[in-house]
Amino acid sequence: MQAKLKLFASLSDFLPSGAQANQIDIDIGDGESVAAIIERFHLPDRLVHLVLVDGVFIKPEDRAQRDLKDGEVLAIWPPVAGG
Amino acid sequence: MDDRQLLRYSRHILLKDIDIEGQERILSGHVLVIGAGGLGSPVATYLAGAGVGQLTICDGDDVDMTNLQRQTLHREARIGMNKAESSRIEVATLNPDCHVNAVPARVGPEELPELVRQADVVVEASDNFSTRHAVNRVCFALGKPLVSGAAIRFAGQISVYDPRQESSPCYACLFPEDSPVYEDRCASLGVFAPLTGTIGSMQAAEVLHLLVRGQSALTGRLLLYDALAAEWQEMDLPRRPDCPVCSERNSGMTGI
Ligand SMILES: [Zn+2]
Repeated sequence: MQAKLKLFASLSDFLPSGAQANQIDIDIGDGESVAAIIERFHLPDRLVHLVLVDGVFIKPEDRAQRDLKDGEVLAIWPPVAGG
Repeated sequence: MDDRQLLRYSRHILLKDIDIEGQERILSGHVLVIGAGGLGSPVATYLAGAGVGQLTICDGDDVDMTNLQRQTLHREARIGMNKAESSRIEVATLNPDCHVNAVPARVGPEELPELVRQADVVVEASDNFSTRHAVNRVCFALGKPLVSGAAIRFAGQISVYDPRQESSPCYACLFPEDSPVYEDRCASLGVFAPLTGTIGSMQAAEVLHLLVRGQSALTGRLLLYDALAAEWQEMDLPRRPDCPVCSERNSGMTGI
């Protein structure tokens, strides 16, 4: 199974090599949760602010229960304050 | 409005959602703009062009060469000049109907209450979280709508926080004040020039809606813009019941 991982702003530094335009296709395991992906890519807590799957916001307390499914897009935003 | 103004604002007056009454509200409006950089530039340009009567523009920084890729209020000839002052000069050439009060300082909890009190709408276009939290606190204490934008690299966000709407969250509902401080400076991360124009122009649009109609459709919603994929996403922003800034506002305002 594959999903798309999109990391924005400062978080894009955590994308593995091969990523283009802030995103990369990743293999996911059966029952692998959003929280597990966040851990797998070593995304620091302080930078994981908004998590959306296919455009739907996932609350912090739901990240461990929300499994990623084939073809879904996981988008993660850090806090942004630039002006 | 005199004949010159009827002509100058005719393309707004033609819009039935603005009309003469709406344009008059714009002309008598006072908008506080925090930051005269990448976001503040399109905000001030569109608001001045549209005839907002008074703009108070705050910025403690001076214009430098690296700003000019995106900060369209400033000019090479004004490198070294304070950005609020540079903005005042630029706006004067655009529309004499718009009076600019330039505040050449980084404003904080000391200066903000008086500035916010005089404004009808506040625009957050600064580059740091401490200013953003200070502005949010004062807006919610004084009941003034806040149009907040941010842009870094290829990523932008915009929302409106309106303390007069019971269901509206505040900025601290989305970014709790006690979160670890982390600053994402354009100076180290870079920023795509037209991204600041996209977000800032949308901020100007919501300011005009607030002046004309008294409300913004963006209240309680956060728009997320990916300028690499040309994609927008949006999410609803609920109030945080335990938010220290806004949770008590219906039983008396929180202190500044
Ligand atoms: Zn709040």
